[in-house]
Parts: sequence; C-alpha cells; structure tokens
Amino acid sequence: MALPTDPPPDKPARQPLYEASTQFKNWRFSPDQLAQTRGALNKAAVGAIQMTFETDEPGSSANVSFLGWEEEVTLVKLYISKIPQLCGHFRFPEEVEATAISYLKRFYLKNTVMDWHPKNVMLTALFLATKTTNHPISLEAYTTNIPRTAPSDVLDLEFLVSQSLNFEFTVWHAHRALWGIVLDVQSLQPPTDSAPIPSYPELYEQAIPHIHASRLTDAEFIYTPSQIALAAVALVEPDLASRWMEAKHVALNSKTALLSLQSTVEAIKAMITSSGSPPDVEAVREVDRRLRICKNPEKVVGSKAYLLKKAEEERKADEKRNKKAAEVQKAISDGDPFGESLGDASSGGLGLVDYDDDDDDD
Amino acid sequence: MNTTRWHQWTQWKRPTLRGSRNGKSGCICFPVILLNIFRSKVGKVGEGTYAVVYRGRDASTNRQVAIKKIKVGQFKDGLDMSAIREVKYLRELKHQNVIELLDVFSSKTNLNLVLEFLDADLEMIIKDKSVVFLPADIKAWMAMTFRGLEFCHRNWILHRDLKPNNLLIASDGMLKLADFGLARDFSDPGYKMTSQVITRWYRPPELLFGCRYYGTAVDIWSVGCIFAELMLRIPYMAGESDMDQVKTIFRALGTPTEEEWPGHKSLPDYVPVGDFPKHPIRQLFLAATNDAVDLLSKCLIYEPRRRISAKDALSHTYFFALPNPSHPSKLPKCSTVTLKPLDEVDGNVEGAGGLKVKAAQPNRLKRKLTGPDGEAGRSIARKLDFTRQTPGSPSL
Repeated sequence: MALPTDPPPDKPARQPLYEASTQFKNWRFSPDQLAQTRGALNKAAVGAIQMTFETDEPGSSANVSFLGWEEEVTLVKLYISKIPQLCGHFRFPEEVEATAISYLKRFYLKNTVMDWHPKNVMLTALFLATKTTNHPISLEAYTTNIPRTAPSDVLDLEFLVSQSLNFEFTVWHAHRALWGIVLDVQSLQPPTDSAPIPSYPELYEQAIPHIHASRLTDAEFIYTPSQIALAAVALVEPDLASRWMEAKHVALNSKTALLSLQSTVEAIKAMITSSGSPPDVEAVREVDRRLRICKNPEKVVGSKAYLLKKAEEERKADEKRNKKAAEVQKAISDGDPFGESLGDASSGGLGLVDYDDDDDDD
Repeated sequence: MNTTRWHQWTQWKRPTLRGSRNGKSGCICFPVILLNIFRSKVGKVGEGTYAVVYRGRDASTNRQVAIKKIKVGQFKDGLDMSAIREVKYLRELKHQNVIELLDVFSSKTNLNLVLEFLDADLEMIIKDKSVVFLPADIKAWMAMTFRGLEFCHRNWILHRDLKPNNLLIASDGMLKLADFGLARDFSDPGYKMTSQVITRWYRPPELLFGCRYYGTAVDIWSVGCIFAELMLRIPYMAGESDMDQVKTIFRALGTPTEEEWPGHKSLPDYVPVGDFPKHPIRQLFLAATNDAVDLLSKCLIYEPRRRISAKDALSHTYFFALPNPSHPSKLPKCSTVTLKPLDEVDGNVEGAGGLKVKAAQPNRLKRKLTGPDGEAGRSIARKLDFTRQTPGSPSL
C-alpha cells in the first residue's frame, strides 16, 4: 500500500505472522476477482447441468431458469445467517461460529449451490469447525439436536468440504482482532479536551454486532481481520478509531498509509451497513424454488442421471480393480512377489501405480 | 532399518473405532508415483493402526516424499482430530526446522498427507551406540530444535508431543519437528486444555499434576529432557507410570518447595510423593560445560512461568560459547543396517534395503565409540539412580 512518496520502509526483520498464513496467501480477493470467480463457476455449472438435462431428454433444458451467481450468493447468505442460531442452540463459542461461516463462504468460491445445497454444506461446515477449533462434539449429539438430519448427511460432505477448503482449516478472525484493538486503545493518551472516555468492555460489546454483520458480507475475502475490526470500532467510536489510527501512523511516519487506511475503513463501514443483514426471506424462497428445478440431477439421489453416473463410476472402479488383480497375478507368476526392480517399474508402463487404492492393505 | 520408527511416527493416540460409512471420492490429482505399492512392500515404510506411510516421489521434481495415508472411513465421527490437527498446523507452518507438508489429497475414504521424506529420527541416533556425539553436535541439534519450537510458539502453536523420535533428521542433517497430531493453538490465558498430552518421560510435572491451564513451558520441559538425553544417551527421567514419573522427576531434581513452585500443591491431581533431596544437576552431567548445565536447568525449572522460553533459549550463552554447533551436514548419522546387528530386538527389518539407500553411503564423519557405553540400553534408564553417577557415563 505504501506509495512512492513514503520514505522507504525499513525492511521488516520478519514476515508478519498473518502474511505467512494460508488465509493471506490463498483466500484474499478483490471485489472483481470475487465476481469473476463466482461468475465463471456459475457459468460452468449451468453448462454442465444443461448437458445432463439434454442427454436425459433433448430439449428439456430450454425452459429451465438457472440461477445467476448473485442469486447463489443470496441463498448462501441466508444459510450463513442460520449458523449463529445453531451455535446458540449448541452453546458453541464464537470461534466455532466464525470458523463455520468462513468455511461455508470459502466452499462456495469452489462450488455452486446447484451441485451442493447450502443447507447440507452448512451443517457439515459447522461440524467440521467444531473439530478444527478444538471443540469437538460427537456426531450423534450433533445430529440428534438438529431436526431431520442423519449422521450421513453431515459426514458424506465432510471430505468434499475439506477438499474445497484445500485443507486449510486455520482462519484468522476479526473478532480476535477486535479484542486486540480494544486492549490496545486503552494505552492511547486521553484526548486533551474533556471528551468522555469510553468504557472499554462496552466498546467490545457494542462493536461485536458489527463484526457479526461483517460475516454476512465479503469483507473477510477483501480485507484483513484487523481492518474489519477497526471498522467495527469506527462504527461505534469514530473519534477513538481515528485517534488510534493516527497514533499508529505517527510511529510509521507515513501520511499516505494513513489516508489509505482511512479510506479502507470507510469502505468496510459502508459494506457492513449496506449488506450486513440477512437477505429477504421471500426473495430467497423464490431462489430456492427455482433451485429445485435447476439443480444438478447427477447429485439427486435416485434420479436417472444419478444412477447413470453411479453405474459409470462402478464400471471404472471395476476396471481398475481387475487391472490391479491382473498385475498382482502377473507379479506372482513371474516368481518374484516383490515384482520387478524399481528401476524397471518406474521406467516401464507399470510405474503409474494407482495410489487410489484403499482395499489392498487396510 | 526397522519399521519400528515408522510405526511410532504413525502411531496415533486414539484407539480406532470400527464403523462404516459410504466413502466420498473426488481425487485431487497429485503427481506422485508410488513405488510399487501393491506389488511389493518396498514402498511401504510403516504402518500404524491409524495410518500407513509410503515412500514415493514427486514425479515433477523427482523429490522423495513420504505419503501418510490416513484411514478415515473407520471413524464414526468423521475426520479424526489427530488428522485434523496435523493438517491444520502443518498447512500454516513453513520453517526449515518443521517438517514440510507438501500437499494433501484424498482418495475415496483416505486422507493422504504428502510430507517431505526424512530418513532418520533423533531417537535412532541416540540409541545407535556406535555413534559418538561431540558437544558441538548436541549443540546443533538443540539449536535446530529450539528454532523449530520458537517458530511454533511464535505462531501460537503448542506441539505437546516433543520427544526424540518426533525430531526427524533429513539426509542433509537438518532436524525437523514432526507429528503435530497432538498440537493445538493457544491464545487466551485461562483457556482450559487437556493435561493428557506429551509422552510420559517428557511430560512436565504440572501436567502430571493435572494442570489444565498451561502454555509454551510444557514444550520447553520436553526439550530439556531431550537435551539431557542427548548428553546421557539414555532417557533422563523414565518413569514407569504417571505416578512413578513424578517420583522420578523429584528424585532427579529434588522435591520442589512452595517457594520454588508456588501453588503446585493446589493442582487438581497433586499427591505428595515424598521428600527427595536436591543434588546439583552438574553431578550427573560431569562433562557438560557450565553453559550447557545452565540452559538445561532453565528448561527444567519447576515453576512453568520461570522456565526459559524458546526465544530466550536461542540467545542463551550456550549457543554463543565455543564449541560452535556442528554444521548439519557434519552431524553424526545412524549407522547402516548392515552395521547394526541389534535389529532383531525390534524384530523387523522389512524394507531395509529399499529405505536406507541414502544412509547406506559410507559416512566418513562417523566416529566410533570407544567408551564402555554399549550396555546402557533404555531399560537401564528406569533404574537410573540419581544419587550416584549413571552407569552409562555421559559421552559429552
């Protein structure tokens, strides 16, 4: 962010911890990138589903009104707003709640609601979050407390969700940063005029709803946790927030960085105020109604396309198993149970051994 | 090479639960070619109840890798906590002294961790009586351990299972912290955690007394025990049970007074185990320098808050005094399988030829032990009498 007018910053002795995180490296986007990613995902999904419809019955996709990516986002947003309710029910700590929400949002940067309905993904994301944040509960206790949910509903998606998250389970949260700022502002010099000094525990209590609201937005993909936290403070105590910002930048001796931070904070404030509330339920209901028609038939258990896909997978697995059995047979008949030497194997056709085996040595 | 080490590496802490669920597929392509997994056992380097480790190589770089295949389908609660912890922390931690997680991919009901391949661990080297350690070697290992640990702690991660066989050694001699299956993050003081962590011999007294609020000091104690073990060549405080462990520690370091460790008598599982006199730690570590003894005793301070931090340990005079630490490439390595006829103790030499290809190179730097240390096996440690000098005289 530093502009050329700034004095060259001293080379930091160490990379800041946050910048070493997978969140910083892999889960930050510009608003344009987000729109592009979602648009491309949506387009690809619609294309694939249309194909499936057409294979099943030519001409059948003509009258289907597929969801646009903005509508997908709205639907996901509704389920984001359900997570805090569930967490309240289970009395999960804030970290579980925040982590589950991040997982759900990240999942839909890799997948579309037309393949995987957010209702199920949400349940899996929350269950996974309890484990990754060290608050595990048994699957049984989890599902018996959620109506119409079987253990398999949660577990069947666990791998898919983990994979979509790229197994990057660590999330840096704005509520932690808020706690840090609330502690840090207490070391500020009090203002010279007789402005009332805010009560700090109250400051946290008043700012945290803004953090909660920010979770319904894309803020965490675009901004750092501490920027979001600062915006939340600014929404409660604007003067205090600017004094803190200034104090931090006096140390840095950088006017441009201060200006840039101020505009970032303004942007986050606007985002929280404009889109930090759950979507209109009626609008979502309409989206969900259309989703029932345009969802990927290959993912609907029992449908024709689903059965076809299963059969195809089954056939491939069989093929693989037979091939493997034949190779084992060959190795045994060659007289050496250990097969040929490594060099031969890696240079020859047998080098590409299937690592996808889970039935050989378990 | 025996497979015991791999066994330990892959030995996960929970009993397995048999249960079935329909697997999820969806394989991320990763260019790894496993060496003949199913037709031979060459590629398979170890198996625990929980995971199987294979050796493979990255097809694009030809780099050797270890693939830890975790069987997930059998757990009724889905992905197991140990697996989640290991993946979670290794995904974030990139440091020369922490094992590198290169990739994660899933296949059917398995989770596969692609880790950098490391051919030995510190326990193998400590137990290999044909290898002599120089003080400079110990200093190098300690420096690398503290560096890796300081990095974890700086990232707010507790390892919670430090012991010699979780300190792996790369072929270039670099030491790397491994096995993050018990690791967790910590941030707020006053956050309750389980005291059932860290392998007993390396477990600090506060955990033995059931302390549920702790921090980085627990790992430091383990490092202290490892430091002592490097000098003694046998586990320093090897208790036979948790209760015996407390006694062993007190016998070695003297029973703590209320001044030395305020409040320890109010810990949940505190039980008095008797009054043992204090002996200067140096009595046992005759050959060690004053700096070494000082650092060791700062790692083994009873009061956790006074125990040295990894960061401070790195600037301890021990690391700046002569001798300078050995360069990693000059560190002693395990002797080869052919030179190690004691393998039948562990009973399993499967895969030996395939695995130790690298280490089987003649090691010019290996120093033969001349002292009468050969008999000091691990079992002797349990009878270590701290009122006298140890049977296996310190080789420092």
